[in-house]
Amino acid sequence: MIRPRAVTAVAAGAAALALAGCGSTASPESSSGGAAARISVSDPYIPLPPSPDAAAGYLTLHNSGGSADRLLRVASPDARSVTMHRSTTASMEPLESLTVPAHGSAAFSRGADHLMIMGLDDRPRVGRTVELDLTFAASGTITVKVPIQPVAYRPPGAGN
Amino acid sequence: MTRTTSPERSRRIAAATALALAAALALGACGSSSPGPAGQQAAVVRTSGDSPYQGTTLTQPFRKPDLVLTDTAGKRFSLREQTAGKPVLLYFGYTSCPDVCPTTMGDIAVAMQKLPAAERDKVQVVFVSTDPRRDTPQRLRSWLASFDSRFIGLTGDLEQVKKAAKPLGILVEDPVVNKDGSVTSTHGAQVLAFLPSDDRAHILYLSQSSVQVFTHDLPLLAKGVQP
Repeated sequence: MIRPRAVTAVAAGAAALALAGCGSTASPESSSGGAAARISVSDPYIPLPPSPDAAAGYLTLHNSGGSADRLLRVASPDARSVTMHRSTTASMEPLESLTVPAHGSAAFSRGADHLMIMGLDDRPRVGRTVELDLTFAASGTITVKVPIQPVAYRPPGAGN
Repeated sequence: MTRTTSPERSRRIAAATALALAAALALGACGSSSPGPAGQQAAVVRTSGDSPYQGTTLTQPFRKPDLVLTDTAGKRFSLREQTAGKPVLLYFGYTSCPDVCPTTMGDIAVAMQKLPAAERDKVQVVFVSTDPRRDTPQRLRSWLASFDSRFIGLTGDLEQVKKAAKPLGILVEDPVVNKDGSVTSTHGAQVLAFLPSDDRAHILYLSQSSVQVFTHDLPLLAKGVQP
């Protein structure tokens, strides 16, 4: 997991984390001294939506860099809109951004933070992919092709 | 993360979750994780691990609500009359719900698929719309068919739905149409299991209950095993 040349970055990242604290809304991605955020995406999927106008997208963001980054917005050429939401006890609320901590991860997952995808262009079906363009504060835009999976799909190893 | 959670551990987790739920209910607010004072709600759930069910056992079972709505064929459907003496899973939700509703219905559908056919036919899964203005019988039928064509969908008077949900501890509010045209409905996302013996809800499944919990409990519910 840890590349040899990343050892000093780990130490810097730990310091940044300690300063940033839990739930901080500061922008640690701009803090000096930390190595740049390095974002990758795993396990992206869209369950086949039972209703054509409201799909959900799930994926995990990994940051192997020494600075946190924030996902600011998500767009798709294949859908009318993509918004970030957080499911609460009895409802859901818009999510302004999602922080991916240095040397950590953040996830959109079922029943929690999720992407709400409205107005998918084509009639969705299992096996098709949907492009999502994820724009981060520091890392720019990362494009992922997200496969549509069966309605009750969960990625392997998702726990439940 | 671990896949080898023992039933005993699951029950303890369920009990802890139930306590947290009771606290949240007592406070009437979401997002609080501090245990509230032991109020009335805390007495509603059993915390000992002697139930064969992995869902949360209600020590004061809920009566089945007197809901008379329209089913997906457009016909009058009385919940009490038409599900009397049958094991029932009851859920309140809406079809424009992107995350929690399809996840819960999908998990139940997966667990139902694992039941032997004879037991599967006994269990009635009932989805009550909290957005009846948009959830027409036709729309409900096509939405539910994505999971299991046997699932029963009910829609109709929202005031009646709210009144039925309240004594079950399930909050239902008027849906809100957002600026982007999306609809947000506030609805308690727990699933209630009614036993065939007395038509009362004895088991509660919190939102985020796993497929494994439903898979474990549905055969018990189908047989009418007492908690």
